Amino acid sequence: MNKAAKQAAIGLALVLMLLAGVIPVQAAITGLTGTAFDLVAREGYISTADGSSIYSWGYASGAGRMQYPGPTLIVNQGATITVTLRNELPAPAGNVSIVFPGHAATASGGVAGKLTQEAPPGGATTVTYTFTAANPGTYSYHSGTNVGLQVDMGMVGAIIVRPAGFDAMNPTAYGHADSQYTYENLFLLTEMDVPMHNAVASGIAAGAINVDTTAFFPVTWFINGRSAPDTMLADGVPWLPHQPYGAMAMMHPADRVLLRLVGGGRDMHPFHHHGNNSLAIARDGKLLESAPGLGADLAVSDFTITVLPGGTVDAIFTWTGEKLGWDIYGHLVTDPLEPGEYAPDHGKPLPVQLPSDLEVTFGGQWSGSPFLGGGGSLPPGEGGLNPNGGYFFMWHSHNEKEMVNFDIFPGGMMTHVLIEHPSVMLMEGN
Amino acid sequence: MLLLLLTSALVSCIVVTQAGAEVLVQCPADTDGIDTDGDGIVDNDIVCKHLAAGDGFINMADGKLQYIFGFSDVTAIPVADVMMEGMVNANFPAPTIKVKEGQKLYLTLTNVGMMARPDLFDPHTVHYHGFPNAAAVFDGVPDASISINMGSSLTYFYYNAEPGTFIYHCHVEAAEHMQMGMLGQLYVTPRQDGTSYADPDGSGRTYTKFAYNDGDGSTGYNVDYPIQIASFDPDFHDASFSVQPLPFALMVDRYPMLNGRGYPDTVNSAELMNTAADVGWGPNKASQKVNAHIQAAQGEKILLRISSLSTTSFHTLSALGIPMKVVGKGARILRGPTGKNLYYNTSSVDLGGGEAADVILDTRNVPAGTYFLYVTNLNHLSNDTEDYGGMMTTITINPAP
Repeated sequence: MNKAAKQAAIGLALVLMLLAGVIPVQAAITGLTGTAFDLVAREGYISTADGSSIYSWGYASGAGRMQYPGPTLIVNQGATITVTLRNELPAPAGNVSIVFPGHAATASGGVAGKLTQEAPPGGATTVTYTFTAANPGTYSYHSGTNVGLQVDMGMVGAIIVRPAGFDAMNPTAYGHADSQYTYENLFLLTEMDVPMHNAVASGIAAGAINVDTTAFFPVTWFINGRSAPDTMLADGVPWLPHQPYGAMAMMHPADRVLLRLVGGGRDMHPFHHHGNNSLAIARDGKLLESAPGLGADLAVSDFTITVLPGGTVDAIFTWTGEKLGWDIYGHLVTDPLEPGEYAPDHGKPLPVQLPSDLEVTFGGQWSGSPFLGGGGSLPPGEGGLNPNGGYFFMWHSHNEKEMVNFDIFPGGMMTHVLIEHPSVMLMEGN
Repeated sequence: MLLLLLTSALVSCIVVTQAGAEVLVQCPADTDGIDTDGDGIVDNDIVCKHLAAGDGFINMADGKLQYIFGFSDVTAIPVADVMMEGMVNANFPAPTIKVKEGQKLYLTLTNVGMMARPDLFDPHTVHYHGFPNAAAVFDGVPDASISINMGSSLTYFYYNAEPGTFIYHCHVEAAEHMQMGMLGQLYVTPRQDGTSYADPDGSGRTYTKFAYNDGDGSTGYNVDYPIQIASFDPDFHDASFSVQPLPFALMVDRYPMLNGRGYPDTVNSAELMNTAADVGWGPNKASQKVNAHIQAAQGEKILLRISSLSTTSFHTLSALGIPMKVVGKGARILRGPTGKNLYYNTSSVDLGGGEAADVILDTRNVPAGTYFLYVTNLNHLSNDTEDYGGMMTTITINPAP
């Protein structure tokens, strides 16, 4: 297949995909930008992939819908950030508030609570939180009121502080080249005790909430507010109106993907990313550097990252397919090299024969070929979720129990990264 | 229509065997004339291993019989006998795989079926957990690749480019198959092995075995032991055996184990026979072949290759009375990107599921005697309701020769 014909085929495919409503992958995380944010605590129902609806609370932006997690706030280093909060939750829910771990926030308005100023129900009172986004990095925000209940109910979100001099065409997380990335992805990890949510809903209907948060026992797990496989859908799909953020990562070989991991619940989670080790370059918004300006010289490579409750980790993932001992493109020796291809393996055949079609069970994301960008014939009804022949690698909590949607496997805290052939344009699809 | 347009732009060159269901081992001779593992010999770089995946039984330390899924080692078994040999013969933990950096591993997986559950037709896979720059076809995740059906074989190929402590497990219906016991240990010894380095601590000790290619002997050890943290939920296993719906949401592990055993079985050096005949699935087989008893001579360094495959919890491991130094994590030497040493001394190591660490215990200033390696999740020092059990084993330090 010559290059011109290949490009024409891809161009035509691109037009068709655009008509079908899919869009090119954005390099940056979806969120709200600026210096002033207007958040409102609202109730709503979120959907899980097992078909359930869970009564939840969340921060909405202005007159918008309640969302889980709350809006991701993307701000610039050094800016003074103002977040106003009103409470439109039903009266039995009580007051709400926001705390900003890693930031020295002051609060005014509302009523005094244990941790900070709180907004009482009724929606008439505004609490104003102010902080300076002094340091770049990944942070979270969550309710500071009745925290044991409200965070599980959904009152949590992420904050991203862009470094001074941030250039969207050559982005870094911390200014230093060690934090440079091609794509960034947010992975906000949470869990929910669904029977507790049902008890809260009943309590509200009856006029008083009475739940024992010490008996917390999660049964459904989320990345960015969605349970698998909804985690792999694009941002803003219309049938998940209260869960606007997807968790699907996409890349080409040799790209650097920044994982912004946020522990948004009360449990620890071991986040295992298949495909390769990652380099954890920062924790809790602090670059792992032994002295300022040295870059991430204390960074640690690992294949599973422990995400602590309330903590954040920034890790760089890359993948080249090198040193496998066979040509990942299925080249003949006489074929030209792909950009960045590991030359010593060029032209080496797959060292084994794969079993016949009748002997295997096919995954939906199996292209029919072991090669990157490859495809092959599949029995009717098989595959179909990998039209460009990319490599899918599962990224998930390795507490396997957490890959479940309320007793239904698979689900929960799981998503994928899709590594596409260098000639394939990365597209977010439905 | 979209699929047709795109396949025209793709490369497609896979040759597929046209056989029906068959057990097939692929283990070629090493004829490339290249010495990839660095031992000076060009034709010994290929290692072949054959695992059978199916069901079986093991006994917990309090005697309770548990139905399990698992792997068994059928490398030495003629192909014609593999199905019979592998059936109802699952081991826990799965057979340990040990290879050298630079060796090429041809790992054949044969699915021998779950005899005690004739209603199940589950395929199986091997996920080589932590393999660098993996390819989806050999990564073992069923939705992103192929899994092998009953009665057939799939051969995985791994060029072991990175030394370190890894893990392997089945990834089909991961929450189920992993809880049921398809969990194994895998480690790769570094190219540096065989070279002599003096201990950088100036004690005069020298080593020829290392956890990593440290270049200075700092990960040198005398004896190494893999330690696998995993536990069972007996209600889950009983439900599986009696063809009941599986309690995923209510999964709570009550049999904590190191290397597939609860104390005191952890320190029993024998291969343990199960009592499968009690439930009509005899003959009884030796299904727990790995123990967790650690031994060294006083003055030696012990490398613990610790991995966790818990499906529910984090665990903290502590060696009471013996200094621990973490020298590796996630199958990488614990050094920063610029080469800065990040080894640290500790008295405890925390691992969540899917994590691995390399920890050196230095017995230089430790008197000969018996010491305990145990999890400080103190409620996991039990075999269900039986106290003084679970994730606990002993380290015997013998007098220096």
